[in-house]
Amino acid sequence: MKPVECEFEAEVLAAVLQSRWPRRVDASLRTHVASCAICSDVAAIAGAVDDAREETRTQAVLPDSGRVWWVAQMRVRREAAKTAGRPITAVQVIALACAVGLLGACFGATSTWFQSALGRMVSSLAALDIRAWLPAATALVAGHAALIVGMAAVILLVPAAVWLAVRE
Amino acid sequence: MFRDMTFNDVSRLDALDDARADFVMDEDTFRAFYDRTARGVWAYLARVTGDRQLADDLLQETFYRFLRAAGTYESETHRRNSLYRIATNLARDARRRSVIRAALSLAGDDIERAPSLDDAGATERNADFTRAMSRLKPRDRAMLWLAYAEGASHSEIADVLGLRPGSLKPMLSRARRRLAVLLGRAPERNRS
Repeated sequence: MKPVECEFEAEVLAAVLQSRWPRRVDASLRTHVASCAICSDVAAIAGAVDDAREETRTQAVLPDSGRVWWVAQMRVRREAAKTAGRPITAVQVIALACAVGLLGACFGATSTWFQSALGRMVSSLAALDIRAWLPAATALVAGHAALIVGMAAVILLVPAAVWLAVRE
Repeated sequence: MFRDMTFNDVSRLDALDDARADFVMDEDTFRAFYDRTARGVWAYLARVTGDRQLADDLLQETFYRFLRAAGTYESETHRRNSLYRIATNLARDARRRSVIRAALSLAGDDIERAPSLDDAGATERNADFTRAMSRLKPRDRAMLWLAYAEGASHSEIADVLGLRPGSLKPMLSRARRRLAVLLGRAPERNRS
């Protein structure tokens, strides 16, 4: 098994970072590094990394700490407002759906006119001969194709646009 | 003040107060901590991602997430490690996103060839280093940078990168060897 660390590693690293490597170190350390793969790799890369560190740190254009704090505060407030608003919206939607359903059920159960109209509609639909209507429907579609496509597009696009606007 | 407010508004204000209290430190402490660490974190992000613009964005996000994390820190080192851990995760996520974007656009431009640090004003040595680093895996870049630029201990590096301390030493040794070879300062074959 190949060794992955060496007891002189820290010493070599310190020598490189303090610009003592290779001239101002003991000859015994130089001899060791020449024969040790780990220490020679440390000596090879430590100086390059340290130079790059200095170079990279000077390239940083950092925002002011006060600005970072302020932006974080604003973001927390925005996210908190969004989080607080989300369950309320959901509750409102559910309440509206319940109210509409309840209203419909009350109307259907109490209105005799509605019940008789519903009965007439069901019986006329049952008696409807679709084959007789098919040629007329085909002719209507063929004659007003552009209008029908336009209406279909509006029916599909308007809810999508409203949804997108509300989401934003 | 509350006269014209609905219950929704009041509950939102409560949420805002709670959010403000969520920060792990006050402004003065944060500013001092930021001034001590931001430059190092930026350099780490720039070297790991190989993209300065991305490092700018990730730096802000790193400090924001650090503030929001409800952590308690035993020491400055612990706090600093936590900050670097957040930065590492963000860099990793950014790399994944960039790989997905590249795959979708079929541009084939992966993170290794992402816009590198501006070499125009840098020394030739630094340009060689940048090229060599860009050919390493992001995890190896992070490991080497933390070890030799930030002076982090093995246990700190393992903590930041989410690795087992036991597996760090061989990984660091391999990464060091690869970088030495890429810098042309060691032969390709292992000598030991």
